[in-house]
Amino acid sequence: MEQFFYYLKVSWFSIKRAPLPYALTIFILSIGLGVFFANATFYYQINSDPLPHKSDKLFFPMTLLVPYQCSDCKPPSVLSYSNVQKLSQTDIPSAKAAMYSADGYLQLNNDQPPLPVVIRITQRDFFRMFDVPLLHGNIWTDNAARFEVILSKATASKIFGKTDVVGQQLLLDDRHFTVIGVLDNWQMLPRLYDASYNNHLSPNEDIFMSLETGYDLNYLSKTSSSTFDQTDYRQLSTQGRAGALHQLQYWVQLDTEVQQQAYQQFMTNLVNDEKAAGRHPSTVNNQLVPMREIVAYFGDEPGDIKAFALVTLLFLLVCLFNASHLSLNRYLSNQYEFSLRRALGASRSQLQLQMLADVLLMTMLTIAGALLIGYAGITLMNQLLPGNRLFSNWDLTLLLALLGIVFACSYLVTIYPSIRASFGSLNQQLKE
Amino acid sequence: MINISNLSKIFRTELIETHALRDISFQVNEGEFVALTGPSGSGKSTLLNILGTLESFDQGDYLLDGKSVRGLSDKALSHLRNEKIGFIFQSFNLIKDFSLYDNIELPLRYRGISSKERKARIEQALELVGLAARKNYYPTQLSGGQQQRVAIARAIAGQPRILLADEPTGNLDSLMARQVMELLEQINQQGCTILMVTHDPDQARRASRNIQIIDGQLHDSALYDPLTQQTA
Repeated sequence: MEQFFYYLKVSWFSIKRAPLPYALTIFILSIGLGVFFANATFYYQINSDPLPHKSDKLFFPMTLLVPYQCSDCKPPSVLSYSNVQKLSQTDIPSAKAAMYSADGYLQLNNDQPPLPVVIRITQRDFFRMFDVPLLHGNIWTDNAARFEVILSKATASKIFGKTDVVGQQLLLDDRHFTVIGVLDNWQMLPRLYDASYNNHLSPNEDIFMSLETGYDLNYLSKTSSSTFDQTDYRQLSTQGRAGALHQLQYWVQLDTEVQQQAYQQFMTNLVNDEKAAGRHPSTVNNQLVPMREIVAYFGDEPGDIKAFALVTLLFLLVCLFNASHLSLNRYLSNQYEFSLRRALGASRSQLQLQMLADVLLMTMLTIAGALLIGYAGITLMNQLLPGNRLFSNWDLTLLLALLGIVFACSYLVTIYPSIRASFGSLNQQLKE
Repeated sequence: MINISNLSKIFRTELIETHALRDISFQVNEGEFVALTGPSGSGKSTLLNILGTLESFDQGDYLLDGKSVRGLSDKALSHLRNEKIGFIFQSFNLIKDFSLYDNIELPLRYRGISSKERKARIEQALELVGLAARKNYYPTQLSGGQQQRVAIARAIAGQPRILLADEPTGNLDSLMARQVMELLEQINQQGCTILMVTHDPDQARRASRNIQIIDGQLHDSALYDPLTQQTA
């Protein structure tokens, strides 16, 4: 350890000897890594697993159960009510929930100005499947229609000024509802249960209503709804339930391989029965899409983030190249000392340990600069792309990964210069 | 102690080959004070560098304590330099932003010597060169002669068996040169073998033996007169 501190001291003297090239090296590295960090943060958060302990057990069943003929079509990204009913008629999944989202206006009474809210219209298993924490009250006892809602903690605070509001009444689009539950702080990132059209990048909903009530009250999906027959979307409660009006996302929890195979077989049997009944004119195309693959399946991976990631990576490479060049100059100007140390008994491997101390010092200074520039970059991106704001947080894993990247980059820009310096001609250097 | 046999060194560029040393053979016994003399460019510094393993050679062999240094790894050569050889350079080669203490400590650092023993050795070496009171000074605060004494202290702090000095008084005035020579003689009397490159006949005369190199070849050292710089 004492020798390590000695190496650090030698590094510090070397910096003091030529502070400008060193500061420039740190500055260039910090810029490259800071810009890279800013983008990597978004990329990491957007591609993170929101439910690592169960994401491999959650699936979106896709089927081409539509009233038209198509041999090479992809199943629609949302299902009709009747399709969901058919896909639900089995006990194979451990949990299952259909859902969609709609816009509404919420107020405590007519004296209060209405608050625009996003409603998740869903079924009771939704809360269990996606680990939604409850702060007060309960969720619905079954999937029947009811004038009962569950509020997010923020919405309860906004409307009532407090969170313990179970049993309180409120007005949602001028209809009276009773609050039966209030969620604890919860933000699923990314919100993969709602992945079509990049909705997974949006914040969680404000209020939760039962699916049957949503249909009874003619709430139409705010994101995606398509009609493949003569169904009148204004008649959601009647025609919407029977016709080919597609607007539902549907998730099933299949805990084991056996369950997954059984559900696949169930879907095959279902489609075969529909074909036999003349309700499935298209080619069979059933998919059981895992939650982590849903964004790619929909083809909605944000291209701008990917393109920007590539640009920042290239920028980082340019910065690394420049920093390495500066580092080489610095090491070559210190070659005399390297040669002297070798002449006095230091082996090349000992000089490489000295280099590691250099790298460590460079890492510590660069991480500070890179985090500062990264933070500035994220703030700027939040201003330019406010939709991505949710994905601009640093967590411990990310910070540790970034620390590792800074160390690796500092090592990369130092390794060649230090090797070059330690292979210089000893007698020539010491004669000068 | 040192046994050089048929040693040759060629410097090559794309266009020419220069034979810096040709077929040199000699021995140095333990405790000797040998002066390497000869005109500029004759190869004496190259020979000293080879003896210090700072430079490789092309032909022949170099045995140190009966063991050939040819083909030794970088680690083994570093170990050998650190343990057995002390260097004194004409331009002192002190690190100017290190204190005298830190400069002398440098070779000891790579030997894994404890902090306590390092301190004792450094103080002892500084005492010997008469700079004990200035251990926290920096080289730029000292005269040339004092700087060379620090370099000598650094060379002897590791208690080497061989001291290689390349024109150690070349940058000093006569008074300081005499002090440095007296110091080297004192070190030699304590049993350390010294090989010193010099142009100065007076200094060469103070050595116990002279080896003369001319055009990369060894001349009969016994017949060399350092006063006239001529072979009989």
